[in-house]
Amino acid sequence: MFDLEIEVNGKQEQVSVEADTTLLYLLRDKLGLTGSKDGCRSGDCGACVVLLDGKTVNACMVLAPQANGASVMTVEGLAKDGELHPLQRCFSESWAFQCGFCTGGMLMSCYALLKSNSNPTRDEIRAAIAGNFCRCTGYQALVTAVEQAAAELRANNV
Amino acid sequence: MSDTHIVGKRVPAANANEIVTGQARYCPDIDLPGMLFGKLLYSPYARARVIRLDVSKARKIPGVAAIITHADIPGENSYLYAAADQPLLVIDEVRYQGEALAAVAAVDEHTADIALAAIEVEYEQLPGIFDPVEAMHPDADQIVPGEKNVLSSHSFSTGDVEAAIATADVVIQNKYQTQCAEHAFLETEGGVGLVEDDGRITVYSSCQAPHRDRMQIARALAMPESMVRVITPSIGGAFGAKDEAHVQIHAALLAHATGQPVRLIRGRRESILTHVKRHPFIVEYTTAATSDGKLVAVKARAIADAGPYTNATQEVLHKFGEFVGGPYKIVNLEVELIGVRTNNPITGAFRGFGAPQAAFVYESQMDDLARKLGMDPLQIRLLNGVETGTKTYTGVLIREGSAMKASLRKAAEMIAWQKRHSCERQPAPHLRRGFGIATTIKGSGAGRGIADHASAALEMHRDGSVILHSAAADMGQGIVTVMTQIAAERLGIDLASITVTNADTSRSPDAGPTCASRQTMVSGNAVLKAANTIRDSLLTMAARKTKTEKHRLDLKVGHLTIDGKPHELSVKDLALRASNWGIPLHSESLVHFEYPEDAPMATYRFAQEVFQFGTQIAQVLVDCETGQVTVERLIAVHDAGKMINPGGVYGQIEGGIAQGIGYALTEELIVEAGLTQNPSLENYIVPLSLDIPEIEIEVLEIPEPFGAPLGAKGIAESPLVPTAPAIRNAICDAINKPLYRLPMTAERILSIGDD
Ligand code: FES
Ligand code: FES
Repeated sequence: MFDLEIEVNGKQEQVSVEADTTLLYLLRDKLGLTGSKDGCRSGDCGACVVLLDGKTVNACMVLAPQANGASVMTVEGLAKDGELHPLQRCFSESWAFQCGFCTGGMLMSCYALLKSNSNPTRDEIRAAIAGNFCRCTGYQALVTAVEQAAAELRANNV
Repeated sequence: MSDTHIVGKRVPAANANEIVTGQARYCPDIDLPGMLFGKLLYSPYARARVIRLDVSKARKIPGVAAIITHADIPGENSYLYAAADQPLLVIDEVRYQGEALAAVAAVDEHTADIALAAIEVEYEQLPGIFDPVEAMHPDADQIVPGEKNVLSSHSFSTGDVEAAIATADVVIQNKYQTQCAEHAFLETEGGVGLVEDDGRITVYSSCQAPHRDRMQIARALAMPESMVRVITPSIGGAFGAKDEAHVQIHAALLAHATGQPVRLIRGRRESILTHVKRHPFIVEYTTAATSDGKLVAVKARAIADAGPYTNATQEVLHKFGEFVGGPYKIVNLEVELIGVRTNNPITGAFRGFGAPQAAFVYESQMDDLARKLGMDPLQIRLLNGVETGTKTYTGVLIREGSAMKASLRKAAEMIAWQKRHSCERQPAPHLRRGFGIATTIKGSGAGRGIADHASAALEMHRDGSVILHSAAADMGQGIVTVMTQIAAERLGIDLASITVTNADTSRSPDAGPTCASRQTMVSGNAVLKAANTIRDSLLTMAARKTKTEKHRLDLKVGHLTIDGKPHELSVKDLALRASNWGIPLHSESLVHFEYPEDAPMATYRFAQEVFQFGTQIAQVLVDCETGQVTVERLIAVHDAGKMINPGGVYGQIEGGIAQGIGYALTEELIVEAGLTQNPSLENYIVPLSLDIPEIEIEVLEIPEPFGAPLGAKGIAESPLVPTAPAIRNAICDAINKPLYRLPMTAERILSIGDD
């Protein structure tokens, strides 16, 4: 067993895990944060994308001990005090999902994009989600949602 | 219904908040006290005799709660779609790679894996049959002893095909092949079983057909159906593959055996290896026409590879045959439909259900015919297309068919079809550009003669809030949102006032499976009917109170209106009055898919009678050095009836086309001697965000005149159907060579060569 300390969505957590536990299963099983999904366990679908020290990772490809001392943000950390992040609202309004199984990872990839690029083009948005497989939507509504959220965020920052 | 207040609006999906906050619970997210982890042992061989299956060592491993084999199943050891011929757990022979032999429940996943590895199986490998044509041979070894390899064989004909062919000016004959395709829903199959205190079994199931699941679970457990409860949690996509059961019966068996909750989720590899795929078809197709392009006859023979078990093979073939001539006026038509057992993966329902295979064939053929006659591909389709009032070759009267030609014309206008030749055709020496058109037909509902009903129950409480119970599974396509909007519209309330329970067989009667683009029509009608009953009670109250004739009253945006003007009485006030007067605001409805009583029965068995038409035009760029195809533009014009929610309708169109692009270009389950070579999302190539162009969509909102709730009809399947043939026709236009096989991979395009 491996004892580790990790900050998840702003909260300090202490957990012990098997050495081969992935970050995804640390989040899902140990911390009950099931918004990050298991779609493949092989780094191919992006349903498990979270931010690890601010960078997007497939949580299924990171061993939990590697995240010792790090800070992690998941889809559950997007809304603040019950208020949705503009990305979340725009995802809903634009029908950026159908089944919603890709949404947690998708939102985190888009959140990371908007942190580094406040005014992405549609192509840049497509590139940012190229590792997030969505079988339902065809991506178009997703791209629109991100564009709208970016516009809202820019307007709010003025 | 132009003055609707909620129907027709792009409101967010009913469960949007749970989804964007990560709170929606899917099967893998269900965690119950004392829950065990289930796993299945799958065959590594496509065909083998099981000489010995010994679970005794595995059972002794600490942490293993139960291991069951076929001998431990209390009831029937079978799956059922129409014919229950697939065992839940193999008895003595595995017939495809991925058939299950044993089920394990253990304290954690790791222990379950150790237990699987400790199960001893001795196989004797047998020569399998992997070519359906070979399997059809009378001397071929029987894949299932005592059962013919040809598991279904039907033919249908109308008119005099041979005479029409003999006298036609042109006859085109080709052979087509379509691939075995994987659904790749993002949430793999899952189920969670538990035993209630009173001995009843509850199963959370990621499924499309909760009541059919319940029947199968009850059979396997030898329990009455009333003792089994199936609930759908959130479902991460299905596209047909969760229409038949997968692991939910096994989860129930393990829960029953251990008395503890058991969660059983397939891994991605297992998922790809085990569930039904889209049938690969081999089709011989003959088209006969006059020299001016009028179709006079179609003759087709289709062979579908079923894998070893029946599943939905017969039904898929029926739908293939129903649409084999496309949306065209054809008087002489003959089709032979053959389903064959092999030791390849099992096949069944997949979005479109036979229609995509048919469309690839009839629309490819249409372009070849146009080319042979020197006709414009658009004109030849307009010349032959059905319209309102056409009697199809299946004997159905098309009651609303104006979208066929309207979609063709609109799509052509959007891409300036007549000017397409002025576009640069060879932007570089190795690059060729092409344009392709395809127009298709797809039906809603199971088809006349097949049980096709749904129930819904609505209750308005004294505070005006409403609860809606329906057993229609929502796998993401949006039926819950559709039902909520219809109920809100008729009751004059806002969406926030309506709570919809998950599909739950103990709360709601059967709504049938979510398939065949049927739920908007059937469950939509069930909700409409139940809402109308409550509405009527509210309006009766209001008429009495306001001393106004009922026909002048309406309910809108929370209020009573008289002659369209808001009145001070709110729906809430009326609900409270009803409650005080003891008038129940509760209604449960049962509706059947409606067919016009005066219409003659179709000559084709189980024919559908409500249709969606659609046209797509693809512009592609082919790299003749690499064989790579880029879809530069994709125009899509689809008929959706009245849209209940444009967000949902556009979503279905965009998502269907994305799957269609995969079906056209890259998606193929590669199966060699029965063994799947690419059971991963890395090697089964699905389109990602950069592989799909911005799709240009136009929806034709032509209300469906018959049996549709507020004029709405299904849209889930039809957008996938024209994509592959539109892309095929565009590639052929670019390289000036015909293609007859899906998917049109770079290697296949290269092997055809450049001229
Ligand atoms: S689950 Fe991590 S990439 Fe698919
Ligand atoms: S919404 Fe279903 S996978 Fe993206």
